Amino acid sequence: MNVYIPLLTLAGLGMLFALFSVSVTSLTGPKRYNRAKVDAYECGIEPTPQAVGGGRFPVKYYLTAMMFIIFDLEIVFLYPWAVASDQLGLFGLAAIMLFLFNLTVPFVYEWRRGGLEWD
Amino acid sequence: MDPGNYIILSSILFCIGALGVLLRRNAIVVFMSVELMLNAANLAFVTFARMHGNLEGQAIAFFVMIVAAAEVVVGLAIIMTIFRTRRSVSIDEPHLLRN
Amino acid sequence: MIILPLVEPPPIELPELDWLLLGPMALVLGAAVVGVMVEAFAPRSSRRTIQLVLTFGSLIGAFVLVVLAAGSGGPVMASAAVIDGPALFLQGGILLVALLAALTMAERHVDPSGDAFAARASAMPGSEDERQFTARGYLQTEVWPLFLFAVGGMMLFPASNDLLTMFVALEIMSLPLYLLAGMARRRRLLSQESALKYFLLGAFSSAFFLYGAALVYGFAGTVNLGGIADAVTAQPQMSGLLLGGIAMIAVGMLFKVAAVPFHSWAPDVYQGAPTPVTGFMAAGVKVAAFGALLRLMYVAFAGSEWDWRPAFWVIAALTFFVGSIVALVQSDIKRMLAYSSIAHAGFLLLGVIAVTPEGLAATMFYLVTYGLATVGAFGVVMLVRDDTGENTAMENWRGLGRTHPWLAGAFALFLLSFAGIPLTAGFIGKFSVFAAAAAAGEGWLVLLAVLASAIAAFFYIRVVVVMFFSDPVGDGPAVAVPSWFTRTAIAFGAAATLVLGIFPQPVLEWAAQADIFIR
Repeated sequence: MNVYIPLLTLAGLGMLFALFSVSVTSLTGPKRYNRAKVDAYECGIEPTPQAVGGGRFPVKYYLTAMMFIIFDLEIVFLYPWAVASDQLGLFGLAAIMLFLFNLTVPFVYEWRRGGLEWD
Repeated sequence: MDPGNYIILSSILFCIGALGVLLRRNAIVVFMSVELMLNAANLAFVTFARMHGNLEGQAIAFFVMIVAAAEVVVGLAIIMTIFRTRRSVSIDEPHLLRN
Repeated sequence: MIILPLVEPPPIELPELDWLLLGPMALVLGAAVVGVMVEAFAPRSSRRTIQLVLTFGSLIGAFVLVVLAAGSGGPVMASAAVIDGPALFLQGGILLVALLAALTMAERHVDPSGDAFAARASAMPGSEDERQFTARGYLQTEVWPLFLFAVGGMMLFPASNDLLTMFVALEIMSLPLYLLAGMARRRRLLSQESALKYFLLGAFSSAFFLYGAALVYGFAGTVNLGGIADAVTAQPQMSGLLLGGIAMIAVGMLFKVAAVPFHSWAPDVYQGAPTPVTGFMAAGVKVAAFGALLRLMYVAFAGSEWDWRPAFWVIAALTFFVGSIVALVQSDIKRMLAYSSIAHAGFLLLGVIAVTPEGLAATMFYLVTYGLATVGAFGVVMLVRDDTGENTAMENWRGLGRTHPWLAGAFALFLLSFAGIPLTAGFIGKFSVFAAAAAAGEGWLVLLAVLASAIAAFFYIRVVVVMFFSDPVGDGPAVAVPSWFTRTAIAFGAAATLVLGIFPQPVLEWAAQADIFIR
């Protein structure tokens, strides 16, 4: 049973933290209700039965989604590396750094060419 | 659970994808069918890895996911460029080449 | 409930990196990454110069490294790839083809508004944006990193030692080419359509390749080519998994080399893509994909040779006949060259069917001669133009030999080499492939191939006759005066075709020394 004590402690701490942060924000946060605040998506899309423009989204969403895919999938390689990093040693570190550098290159390209500007 | 079932499922998925490529006319749908085929291959890889008891197949699945993502980016870029000119993504409509 | 045991996992063996053998690929791919950074930071005015220096520097450097590494070899990157004789020979060939193709891509004197690529590939064709970008003389310099990535993928493709590396190399090679195909400066709609077609069919075929790889993995329990070969010999009875796997992998590869019945994309894509890219694609992809196909069939699946040879027999025969016969009725030079490349894929398949060291050496020699002549031929196509761009209608090429004897002479030389006329490199290549196939007991197929070559010779020579023995058209196309970039490419291609036709011995010997795949 002893093996599970750290796990249970961690779970308890997690729950406490969740309860604490939710209750503290609801107690201390400012309460200004307006139309935007009660929308399902506060970031801007209005959920109408029929999406604006005949169900089409602006191309920008696809661009962002494409970028997300590329930078999200890096985790697929980072995770196995992290699990075995002590065995892989310096070689693994160098390899993953090279990988991350290569991943940063298109990001920098995108940033310099204005791919990250929404408008 | 018999792993053979997963192989059958993956071959069914692959056939759905292949038929989708051959029968559908919308470039995006054709493209989604190709992605379905890649994922069918992934399922087969993971199942065979389980059957053989080595991890190679699972590692391959990771690489395939990455390649599929890169393919999505290139493919959507091409389809979007065409769409902006033609306002349509039907692969029947472009027929400048079929002279 | 399962409790995972807390045991130490077995130690991981770290791969050895042999930088001399990996050097050529590392140099090209590294230059491509630097090229992306250049696009991000360098000012617009200096981008083209920097990219040209990077491209030519890395290609020449990689070629020198390949020559230095010749004779050595072995598995690299934990056996994911193997740099052996054939791999180095084909990498050298790919680099030469890429150098010539880069020379034609760098040309910007034949089109008054710039190079062969759209000023901004993202601008809508016919839009005001496009007009402005063109007027300002913008160049899409991203083509250079894309080109280098494709070259890197091509170099890895024939050196891959497992099915996963092969798949990744296939994609590194193909993805940039899909984009490059859609970037033509003139006739942009046609170009974009060809990119879409190339992309959809290419992605379809690589999905087939991947599923085939999954089935072979299911059969052998490994994707390493040597491991597959062991599994094939260990299990002599028929296996559905193995046969299905070989068939699907073959479909994927035959798509890439444009063998009948998987060839339908080739004429459209060759016609729509920017001409320098067409030349690069026609030559480079064929060298790389045949290299990989040879390694697959010679190393992994040689043990089940009697299962796949009949199917390849039929496909080879279909390919060279359909290619040769349909080329007869083409009236567009680019489409004719596309069907000619299909016919050549058929002839090259003879070398795959042979499964002998001689077959391998002959196919590699054929690939290099075909590649150099192809880039040169498309370089000539770039130059015959009118106001709207290249003029590829065959009737407009009438009398070109009288008005521009040197240019037409070079083109005629390439065509004669394609036709396999003696004293050209194409003859030596074709002869050695046919001889190897005949020695491997494929007499009937060789007979059919000779017949198809005769048909093919007819349409090649028809173009030569049109160019030299008919009167020039009155207001025919003008021939643009190229800079030394294209001149060098065409001259080098023509010289190589002639020299390899008259003194083929050194290169043939090099190929013969490199005729064994290391497992």
